[in-house]
Order: sequence, then structure tokens, then C-alpha cells
Amino acid sequence: MTRTENDIAIVGFSQSPMVRRSQKTETEMLLPVVQSAIASVGLTKNDIGFTVSGSCDYLSGQAFSFVSNVDAYGAWPPINESHVEMDGAWALYEAFVRLLQGDIDTAVAAGVGKNSNSDPSTLFTIEMDPYYLTPIGADPWSMAAMQARAYLDSGKATERDFAEVVSRNRSNAKSNPHAQVSGDFDIDELLAADYIRNPLRRHDLPPTTDGCAAIVLARGKKAYDLCERPAWITGIDHRIEAHLPTMRADITKSVSTALAAKGAGVGNAPIDVAEIYAPFSFQELIVREALGLDASTEINPSGGSLAANPVMVSGLIRMGEAATQIMKNGKRRTLAHATSGPCLQQNLVCVLEGDE
Amino acid sequence: MPDVVHESVFNLQFPFTRTLGSTLSTFFSALAQGQIIGVRTGGRVIAPPLEYDPDTGADSGTEYVKVGPKGTVSAWTWVPEPTHLHTIKNPFAFAFVTLDGADTAMIHLVDAGSESAMKPGMRVEATFKPVDERVGRIDDILAFVPAADPAPSAGAGDPWDAPAEPEITTQDSFCDLVYVDNTSAPTLLWMESLLNGKLIGQKCPVCNRTFVGPRGLCCIDAVELDESHLVDVPDRGVITNFTVITPVQYPGQLETEPFARCSILLDGTDAVMAQQSILDMPASEVRVGMHVAAVWVPEAERDVSEIGNRGWGSGGDCISGWRHTGQPDEPEENYLERMM
Repeated sequence: MTRTENDIAIVGFSQSPMVRRSQKTETEMLLPVVQSAIASVGLTKNDIGFTVSGSCDYLSGQAFSFVSNVDAYGAWPPINESHVEMDGAWALYEAFVRLLQGDIDTAVAAGVGKNSNSDPSTLFTIEMDPYYLTPIGADPWSMAAMQARAYLDSGKATERDFAEVVSRNRSNAKSNPHAQVSGDFDIDELLAADYIRNPLRRHDLPPTTDGCAAIVLARGKKAYDLCERPAWITGIDHRIEAHLPTMRADITKSVSTALAAKGAGVGNAPIDVAEIYAPFSFQELIVREALGLDASTEINPSGGSLAANPVMVSGLIRMGEAATQIMKNGKRRTLAHATSGPCLQQNLVCVLEGDE
Repeated sequence: MPDVVHESVFNLQFPFTRTLGSTLSTFFSALAQGQIIGVRTGGRVIAPPLEYDPDTGADSGTEYVKVGPKGTVSAWTWVPEPTHLHTIKNPFAFAFVTLDGADTAMIHLVDAGSESAMKPGMRVEATFKPVDERVGRIDDILAFVPAADPAPSAGAGDPWDAPAEPEITTQDSFCDLVYVDNTSAPTLLWMESLLNGKLIGQKCPVCNRTFVGPRGLCCIDAVELDESHLVDVPDRGVITNFTVITPVQYPGQLETEPFARCSILLDGTDAVMAQQSILDMPASEVRVGMHVAAVWVPEAERDVSEIGNRGWGSGGDCISGWRHTGQPDEPEENYLERMM
């Protein structure tokens, strides 16, 4: 297919080591990663048309922490910059839309999360409905566990299926140099562990991770100048469901993922590789079903967010990994998925294609 | 001598008063009376009610109905070790409870005694706090407990005659979060130098600017800086900008008279130390261009525990302030083109 000046591609990707506790601040983590992503396509900071990041003040515990993080871009002379209080995947979406305006041809999307300063498993209780959920301490583990219970009761999966997701992701993560948790895990041994929140065990939950990532985007001919095999974004869509999970007709399905997949054109051709952001093991099964993927699609060769889950970065990493499959591994068509909010409330689907 | 601080604990606490709007005011006013209600909208009863129909966004109206106090559990999970966030301290369940008379579930606690008591379809019943402890908040319901009698709730689905002016229209909440920040390498170097009565900076090899208080990076050139870029800087400089603050007596404010906070450019450096205090001079006499020198706290009393990772250039409790040196001022216009 001939690309036009309205086509946008991922051309560069860089990520930090994913660790339980970084000794660096968010800004210190971000600088070498953003600059190495830019350098990987032969550019310097002054060549970038637009820079946008995703991060969360509540994670680092500092108001306006994203302002300090601008120091990682070398923002002098002043740059064109933006920020979303969302995963970096949504920063990439903004960069994509910004590039479509046609007046610039490069952009950087970054995500950074120093999750270890706080305890994300309790912190995100304040993300829940402030009237009906936060006052009773409805923590993210409990919310996910109720969704998992409903999924089991629907008969679509068993706890063994959950453990299989964990075992496969952690095994895949052995070949990911950035992974925090990897290795061979026996499913029966996993199933012997105690519940943290019935029916979820420790291994069904994401690790707590410090890390960051950055992606370089380019428009039209510029993409070929910067990358031998650009990963063209042929579809990107984001859908949101009701904030209170109890208002959704069926919590064992992800209607928003299915709509986003349709909008992004997932079903138009086979998907070689899908990188799914499922923070809790069983959510991979729900998302996979909603995406309409069959057994021919390889899921999470990186190990996914069970191998490392820097909140505010995990979705962007899925995009970088899915793009790398095209840029470096010669894959034809891949998919990246990102989620946000309780029980898969928001879902973003991005389809990437390499040239024939 | 005091030591550097490798980890600092920060407790973020703030009170918050939310207005409830008409639908939630009606719900919480009824709840404080021990009555749970829902709203009929879009052909179904939503309980607890929302002021909009989540399917269409339309106003959900005022057709309130009584629901519960009994209901049926669908999804659930077990919390074996409750945390400070949870409102009861013994192990309990969270569950989707569809109250009698409602078509949607409410998420709440089920105090079931043991995990083995939990099963889908179980009948539960709301228990309330004593009347005088209710504040019109969702935890006025202490928890649901297994229903003694599984029969349907009497009166569920009946209309609720809501008062025109709900009694409860706001809700207080309190945010309480704990952070443990680990001190980054450049900040540790800064802490160490302050304890030794010395000021240091880092010099960028690209732009040759000297930043006071090591940051580990040059924010102009976006390059990393490390110990090889450290330079000693003098503890004397010139005021480039200031503001005079008239103190308001909030908790923790120790000042009672108007005081100046100054940006100070140390001699031979390129980035100011901000928010510095001036000693032995009324705020009204502080001037741009004035030469000042640091006044150090005696070595044994120096303390860096208040210096965080983002407190670049903060003197902590090692420099008590800055004093006019008596030298003639530099021309004010020399500092006009600076940001700070």
C-alpha cells in the first residue's frame, strides 16, 4: 500500500529497565530514555515537532511532577509540549492527532511512572467513584477480583486458565531484557498459592514497577527517512464504559474493547502479534475475546504487564513492543491494547502495519 | 554530625467537602434515615442512584423507589487482611449486591464471618450504624450480613416520597496517602555538601552552565550529569529577584511579620537558589542587585531531612539565611532578562 503524508508511523522506541524500586527520580529516569529514542532515529531534541507525556502526580506524590519531567526534553529553546494524566498510550494518541494537523512531521510520546513511592494497590482506591466506592475502601485488587469471580461463574474460564496466562507471560518474559518478573512457573504450583483476593492469587496481580518509555512518531515520507521499516498506525480507537462497574450490563465482557477494535479495523486482516495490557491475568482472556483474536495471533511475546507494570507506562510499552515486531522482526500486522480505570473501564486499540 | 537522608516519608493528607447534587443528596438523606433508595430511569431501577442514566446520559429524573434492605449477592471477593482503607477490620467480602426492588448492583461489604459462607445467590441484609453516628455517607451501611430470613424485603419497589429540600447536601471525605521517596544520587551529594558547610553544583559540558545543587542533568541540553561534573561554588551571590510575603497564620507558618523570599545567583553560576530568606534586614529594604552571603547553622545542628529530591538549591536546615555583605549593589538592570 502506498503511504501518504497523512499516514503516521512509529519509528523509534526506547524503554528503561523495569525495576521494583529505582534510585532515580522520574525526571532522571526519563531523560536518557527519551533522548535515546530520539537518537535511535538519528535525530536530536531540536528536531522534534511535538512532545507529550503521560504520568500521574498521585503516583510520585508530587503536585505538578510532570513540570519537572519537562527537563528531560531539554525544553530550551521552548518546545511544543503537552501532558495527559493517563498512561503514555493516550499521550501517543494525542501525538497521533497532533501530527494529523500536517504542520509537523515528528513527535515524541513518553510515559513515566515511579510507582514504588506509593502503593498503587491502595492508591487507586481514590480513583474509584468518590461517593459510592472510595469511602468503603474498594481497592483495585478487590474490584478486579469481583470481575474475575463473575468471569469464572460465567463458565468461560477456570482458575487454571488464569494460571496458564501467568505461566505463559512469565515464560515469554525470559527473552525480554527489560522484564521485572520472568521464568518458568509450574501451573500446579501457582494454583497451590493462597488467595490475595479470592479468586486471585499473588501471581494474578501485576508487579509494582518503576520505569518509563518513549516512542518517536513520524508522518509520511519522514518516516522512511528515519526508519527502514516503519510501523504504520492504520487504526487507533479509544472507548470508555460507565465508571461504576455495576452499571455495565455484563462485566465479563469488554464492550469498549470490542468497539475500539472495530474502530481500529482489527478484523480487516489477520493479526500476527497482539500486545495486550491486562494488569490482572484473567483480563487478558476478556480482552482477547473482545478483540476477536483467534489462535493464530501470538499474545504478549514481551511477557505483557504481568512481567512489568509501571502504571502510566504499560500501555505505551505495548505500543512500542508491537511496533518493534514490525520494525525489527519483520511482522506484517500487529496490535497494541491499553486499558485504564477499574475493571477495564477504558480501552484503546492501535493497529500497526509494515509495508509488504 | 547528622547524616544524609536516604528515604523520606511523606504523608499527604487533605480534607475535601463535595457537593452532592439533587439525586445523591436525596439518596444520602434517605440513607441517614436507614432507607436505601434507587431511581427508576430508562425502564429499570438503578440503586444506588445516579443523576444520569449511564446508558444514555439523560437526566435520570426523580422517580425514587425504596430498595432493600435485603439483596442478592452475585460477584464477590474475600479480603483476608483488611487495610487502613477498609471500614471494618475483620476479614470480610466485597460483593455486588442487587437489592430487592433494584435492577443494578451496589458494591459493598459483606461481613459473612468466613470465606466459605460466600456464594453467588446468597441472600444478605444491610446493617446500619446507630442513628446518631450516621452522616449520610455510603458507610452509614456498616456492611451486609447473611439474611436471617431470605424472604423478599417488605416494601421494596414502593415509591419513595423524597423531600423537596434534602437534609444532606454535602459529604466530607479525607484523603490520607503515604509516600516513601528514596533520595536520588544527586540529592545525596547536595545533602552531604550542605552538612559539610560547602555549596556545590554541576557544570554542563555542552553549554558550560553551572547548576547550583546537583540535578543529575542539564535541563537545557538534556544530557545526564554525574560526579565528574561536580564543581565547588561560593556561598556568596547577588539577589536577582524577590517577593515580600505577608503571612497568613495557617498551621506550620512560623512567620508573623512580612518577610522576603529571594532568588540568589551565586557568583560564577547560572541557576539561582530560589526561596531564600534574608537575615537582619526588614523586608522593605531588600533589593535586586544586593550582595549577600550565606549564614551557616553550626555544624552539629545542621539537618537535611527537609530536603527532597525536587528541592534543588534548598539550603535545608543548614543555611539559616543570607546576610547583606555591605558591598555596593550591582545595577538592577543586569538582572532584568533573567526568568528568576
